[in-house]
Amino acid sequence: MSIAILLLTLTLGAYFIAVIEGWAVHGRFSLTRPALSAVALFGRESLLARTPDRLFFEAAPVLLLVAGLLAVAVIPLAPGLIIADLATGALFLNAALAYVLVALIMAGWGPNGGYAMIGGWRFLGQFIAYAMLIVMPITAVAMRAESLSTTMIVTSQADLWNVFYQPLGFVLFVLAAMGLAWLPPLDLPNAPGDLAGGVEAEYTGVRLAVLRLARMVIILALAGAIVTFYLGGWLGPWLPGWAWSVIKMLVVTTVMLTTGRLVPRVREADLLAAGWKLGIPLALANIFLVGVIALVVDI
Amino acid sequence: MENSALGQYAILLGLTLGTVGFVLCLYAVARAIARTRAEPGKDVPATAGSLARDPVWVRYHARYYGYALLFLSFDMEMAFMYPWSVVYRKEGLVALLDMGVFLAILFLGLLYGWSQGALRRQ
Amino acid sequence: MMHGARTGMRTGLRRLIAGAMARDLCAFVVPGSDVARARGLDLARAGLHLAATPRHANVLLVVGTLPPDLRDAATVAYAQMPRPRAILALGADTLAPLPAADATGPLTQVGLVAALADLRRVVANGAFAAKVTDFDAPALQTRIEYTCPMHPEVISDEPGNCPICGMTLMPKEASASSPAAHQPKQSAPAHQPPAVAHAAHGHSTHTAAETPAQYTCPMHLEVISDEPGNCPKCGMFLVPVDAKPVGHSGHDHHDHHDHHDHSKHVATETPTQYTCPMHPEVISDEPGSCPKCGMFLVPVEAKPEDHSGHDHDGHAGHEGHAGHSGGPAIDGIEPHFMSMVNLTRDMPASADGLKMEWIEVPFGPFFPGLPGGLGLTLTLDGDAIAETRVQSLVGGSIAADGLTPAEFVERFADQSPLCRVANRQLACLALENAASVAPDARTATARAAAVERERIASHLGWLASFAAQTGLVWMERRAAAKQLSIQAAPVDQIAANAASLRAFLHRVRKTPLLRAKLAGNGRIGEGKPVVGPVARAQGVQSDARAGDWVYDALGFQVVTGTGGDALARLHQRCDEINQSLELIARAKELSVPEPQNIGTVTGQGQATVETPRGAAHLVVELLGGKLVTATYRPPSAAHIDLLADLIQAQEIADALVAVGSLDLSPWGLPA
Repeated sequence: MSIAILLLTLTLGAYFIAVIEGWAVHGRFSLTRPALSAVALFGRESLLARTPDRLFFEAAPVLLLVAGLLAVAVIPLAPGLIIADLATGALFLNAALAYVLVALIMAGWGPNGGYAMIGGWRFLGQFIAYAMLIVMPITAVAMRAESLSTTMIVTSQADLWNVFYQPLGFVLFVLAAMGLAWLPPLDLPNAPGDLAGGVEAEYTGVRLAVLRLARMVIILALAGAIVTFYLGGWLGPWLPGWAWSVIKMLVVTTVMLTTGRLVPRVREADLLAAGWKLGIPLALANIFLVGVIALVVDI
Repeated sequence: MENSALGQYAILLGLTLGTVGFVLCLYAVARAIARTRAEPGKDVPATAGSLARDPVWVRYHARYYGYALLFLSFDMEMAFMYPWSVVYRKEGLVALLDMGVFLAILFLGLLYGWSQGALRRQ
Repeated sequence: MMHGARTGMRTGLRRLIAGAMARDLCAFVVPGSDVARARGLDLARAGLHLAATPRHANVLLVVGTLPPDLRDAATVAYAQMPRPRAILALGADTLAPLPAADATGPLTQVGLVAALADLRRVVANGAFAAKVTDFDAPALQTRIEYTCPMHPEVISDEPGNCPICGMTLMPKEASASSPAAHQPKQSAPAHQPPAVAHAAHGHSTHTAAETPAQYTCPMHLEVISDEPGNCPKCGMFLVPVDAKPVGHSGHDHHDHHDHHDHSKHVATETPTQYTCPMHPEVISDEPGSCPKCGMFLVPVEAKPEDHSGHDHDGHAGHEGHAGHSGGPAIDGIEPHFMSMVNLTRDMPASADGLKMEWIEVPFGPFFPGLPGGLGLTLTLDGDAIAETRVQSLVGGSIAADGLTPAEFVERFADQSPLCRVANRQLACLALENAASVAPDARTATARAAAVERERIASHLGWLASFAAQTGLVWMERRAAAKQLSIQAAPVDQIAANAASLRAFLHRVRKTPLLRAKLAGNGRIGEGKPVVGPVARAQGVQSDARAGDWVYDALGFQVVTGTGGDALARLHQRCDEINQSLELIARAKELSVPEPQNIGTVTGQGQATVETPRGAAHLVVELLGGKLVTATYRPPSAAHIDLLADLIQAQEIADALVAVGSLDLSPWGLPA
């Protein structure tokens, strides 16, 4: 039963993310536009390129959706309101989101087209930049909570949210999450200005609908991860836990979708250099700092 | 809620299969609405108004292989850090020192790679 | 009746979907959104979303009459749109290869809104139709070309033999109307082996059998057959496998230690004999063609050692392959093993020394962020540019013979939709120069103000394109809105909006991480022939307005910058917008250039005007008051030639930003 509630919440959340993204891109807040687009996409032809890698081309949107849903499955909306409360939830989240890379490379390789292939390989470069910055902050969070279970991580923040305890990790994790969901300014695989749609360009019709849905779910999963790991999950006064979770996730999503578009698209060389020369040392410093504090202080 | 790990993984497997089934249903609905028409030029990947029919499955010259090699070593390290982070507080200072040494060695490797020019667009 | 409808009865669910589609129109603009903005169309306000690729669009928006080459490209874009698809043509006389437009209108904002309403009705009613015909056009047809597998630059329309090596040509698919198919690539010959023939170059996977009755292909050693015939992969005749009972499994070749020197491995000792580089068992006393593959026979060179009666069939089979030589045999490695070093021997190397395969990808003419109508084809080495080929699909000069001055001014202005006022000014001044008539100070100042207003609009349009390229959606929206509002605004309205425009430019310059994106990008060396803002951003004092008495009266000073990279060009254009605002404020009057009555004059006249992209030059010849010839030198002509050097070895995103920073206008360029 709760699984059904959660999936319904997930659908509504994904829809709201689509509304917010439409507002960020077009400057107009329209509650019905995503529904219209989805219905219209069903009526459009779903084309297949002439010499595709059929398996890769078909599997990529599905894999993306599966990865997103598996990641959402370990996000707690309230104590007990979680699809699968794994003891290794944080690790499972990271493992599920690693398939985003596989799916995008498959989407890039599949249609045998120039723009898509370049987009796919650019995403691999982006992955090498952000992957460590997803894992290392999670490690620091797990150190405080003494557990990888997402529920335990939230309850460990009862005294102080991780965003104040580990601000460095928070910043790195948010930036890496934007890279993972290929949100601007890190939208190298589907850059509209560089690659005219890139990996998404060859998908049309219902396949494109699945791809866009999958992307919304991934953004939702990442917002949920940020809220769970750093913003105290369901913790908060007056309102019930799930309301706080939803509100926080919407705020995080809005921030991720809007602030990124104020900055020009990051060059791949700059992204990799920043990730490895600045990001990794900072993440290691974060782990070290949290390690010292966790031993000394008891919260 | 299932408490056993196996039960939870069964739920996740069910979720996966359900998703695949859902997507197949969507595809079936789209197919029932109308079929795709094959026309000349339509199946060539869209490239801004010119037709590019040549295959692009070639050896791609990725420029980030320096980063990729370092990434492999750090990824192996992170596999060790997951269980370490869970027992860290219980183990105390010893845990910090042990992993600190490990991380320091890897960090030195990163610095060495940086000095040799691995961390740049090749 | 929509030509781009889908097959189906319009019932129930399909009606709902068609209604949704009519409200969710997504347009692919041809020739480009820069031209649409320059023509005064506010697509966002009309409620039309824009698509970066025809795959995500359901409306092809044609703005103005397109030249024939561009219409072919638009046909390709239309063919690649998924059904149901519609065409909305504004101000287009003919659409020829494209089907008839589903909604038409004049080239105005009002026309756009009305046509859009029509289009929504058409889509809602016609998205699904009972009978649908396929769309076909000559631009979409393919034809078979014949090329040599070892020398891909050799292309012929009929089967035959390669003039370089004599091999039989292989069929390959190509566009029926592509003129570029016959241009050889400028790189080393064997860098781009056709994927078909070389995809399975199993240099380390061959499993030559132990029995002599088997046949293999000299180029595909994994192809084994029990009887002679043709290789299924490349068509070459199969040759008998080496009969020696040696351990061909994997790389175990200790028995072959006497195969030391393969590079000159031939089967004969007399120097006047001829052999095929790929079939050493073919020996002839006179030059000719190999009977097996057609290659030219080469003279044999004698080798004193290593002739213990080996049967060399299939072993030296890789000699003479440009880029496919087997190389010298090494102990422990089978002689057919071709390392990557040998396989890529003749391919051009990238900056880091690796030799990877290149792909040719077109980036024009309808690429978002780049000027519409610019046919850019890039050969990519990974994600860096290896070669560039650029061509204007909207070029060509207008036939001026027999036109009256008024007609000529109109036609000349319409030729370049991106700088119509400047071209009008150019034509008027050239005609007046031919008649030795000068406009009075008031008219001249008003005309100059109009040219300056267009300069502001053009630079704002460039800013919107730049923002589209780099993903800054807020900047694109605001710049487009400001361009459209200032394009036809009277002087007082310009003055009223000047403050907010300056504030916008200030915010643009302060965009975070802009410097990281643009600094150092697109630098052109000293001494190159650059014009316009590109030249001034380098510090070159080149401006056709300096020394013009009209501008001197307005207190004009040449504005220059330093750096000459894309960032400097952005700052330069912002500075020029500010300067133009001041000039208009001082001019106080503004009127679009109109041709004066010059009577029946015979002679030559010329004029130079600083268009938003640089100095343009026009020479006209008149006979009895009518035009005879008109020679136009557009400003972007010099920049087009610099393009290849500018983006060589750059990453694709940086290269596109560099191309965009030049603000090319392909209109009017020599085609």
